Amino acid sequence: MLGFAKGLKYTLKNLTREKVTYDYPNKPLPLPDRFRGIQKFYPEKCIVCNQCANICPTDCIQLTGKKHPDPAKKGKIIDTYDINFEICILCDLCTEVCPTEAIIMTNNFELAEYSRDMLFKNLEWLDENDENIRQVNKA
Amino acid sequence: MIEELLQSSPGWANFGIFFLLGAVLLLIVLGFVTYGILAERKVLGYMQLRHGPNQVGGKWGLLQTVADVLKLLLKEDIIPKAADKPLFIIAPAIAFAPSFMVLATMPFTDKFQFADIGVGLLYYIAVSGLTVFGMVLGGWASNNKYALLGGMRAAAQMISYEIPLVMSVLGVILLTGSLNLNEIVTHQEHGWFILLQPIGFIVFFIASIAELNRTPFDLPESENELVAGYHVEYSGFRWAFFMLAEYVYLFAMSALITVVFLGGWLAPFGFLDFIPGAVWFALKFSVVVFIYIWLRATLPRFRADRLMEFGWKVLLPIALANIFLTALLKSLFF
Repeated sequence: MLGFAKGLKYTLKNLTREKVTYDYPNKPLPLPDRFRGIQKFYPEKCIVCNQCANICPTDCIQLTGKKHPDPAKKGKIIDTYDINFEICILCDLCTEVCPTEAIIMTNNFELAEYSRDMLFKNLEWLDENDENIRQVNKA
Repeated sequence: MIEELLQSSPGWANFGIFFLLGAVLLLIVLGFVTYGILAERKVLGYMQLRHGPNQVGGKWGLLQTVADVLKLLLKEDIIPKAADKPLFIIAPAIAFAPSFMVLATMPFTDKFQFADIGVGLLYYIAVSGLTVFGMVLGGWASNNKYALLGGMRAAAQMISYEIPLVMSVLGVILLTGSLNLNEIVTHQEHGWFILLQPIGFIVFFIASIAELNRTPFDLPESENELVAGYHVEYSGFRWAFFMLAEYVYLFAMSALITVVFLGGWLAPFGFLDFIPGAVWFALKFSVVVFIYIWLRATLPRFRADRLMEFGWKVLLPIALANIFLTALLKSLFF
């Protein structure tokens, strides 16, 4: 009987307590900084070292480089950079391995699309994906 | 006004007026069901630290139930191949009709009542007992073992809890000396029956939850054991009728508790008489509905064997003892 009264009291108190739900589609979810979301890519930082494509466990990154337009400078610059989000598992290895932090994680996670082709994100799209980017990166 | 109509000679005009009045009451009840369901979902949500419906119809989700019902009406009407077709079709109507019929005797205020019959309380209990036929028929006609189990559970539970329900209300009848609901209300002018019959009230309230098939006595439905109980095979409009019957009974039972134990439309104190009776009735009625919802949010479901034991070995002896006690007190003091 005492337990019953306690239960009733508890549910009554819950009426006025703060709700634990989020107003999600209207307001973004509060996510921790180390959340692994869709990558943001900086073409100017990339040195075309291919490490991200090599370490990717699902082989979802494809990139090509070209010679630096300024003949005085050595090395390559990025030409195309595609991530296939049909198979990307957002494991964070590409951003971990990148020596120049040209690719970093963001807190964006909404990948629902009407067609599979739209999950194939190219260099321009990844460059424009510049919201909610991860604040603390190693370089 | 109703009294005159009942005495007048039958005719089409008479039929029309009664039909219209019935339709008006039905609309009121449907309004209650719409917002009763919303209130239930809202209160349950708030008690479970969430908001409940808040998308359709503004911040408070005021059109959520309307949208749900519209969806139900648009759904395909499915009748299983192996089902007993005529029974399957008629079962929801059998379950719903008595729930609306019992409202005829309910005195909402001293003026707003449809039939002031001498045995109003008996009529209520007798007619509400018919609903179990609809549930058993629905369960049986579906030709589904889970539906049949649910129907059987419903029958067993409703029959066993009807007895303590009637027995507990006998104390009130003894004190009033009448089965007429109006007389029961007017008899409470100097003290509600909840104060004179506390044991009777508690037994009645518990038995009424079981009669309404609500948590913690929702075994006939138990969505997570029997996949919904007797109405598994029902969908769309017919399912809506079962749901409607359930909530109209909630309306009727809350109204009955208000009338029998909480003084109906009477004000709690004499000096509060200036507030109209309809407001008092609505207030008491809402409190009873809230308590039903509150209990649903608090208690888990009973076990099937415990349910029967509780009904027969606990509630019934207490109700019987209450009758003896009342009879003793009445012969000694009144």
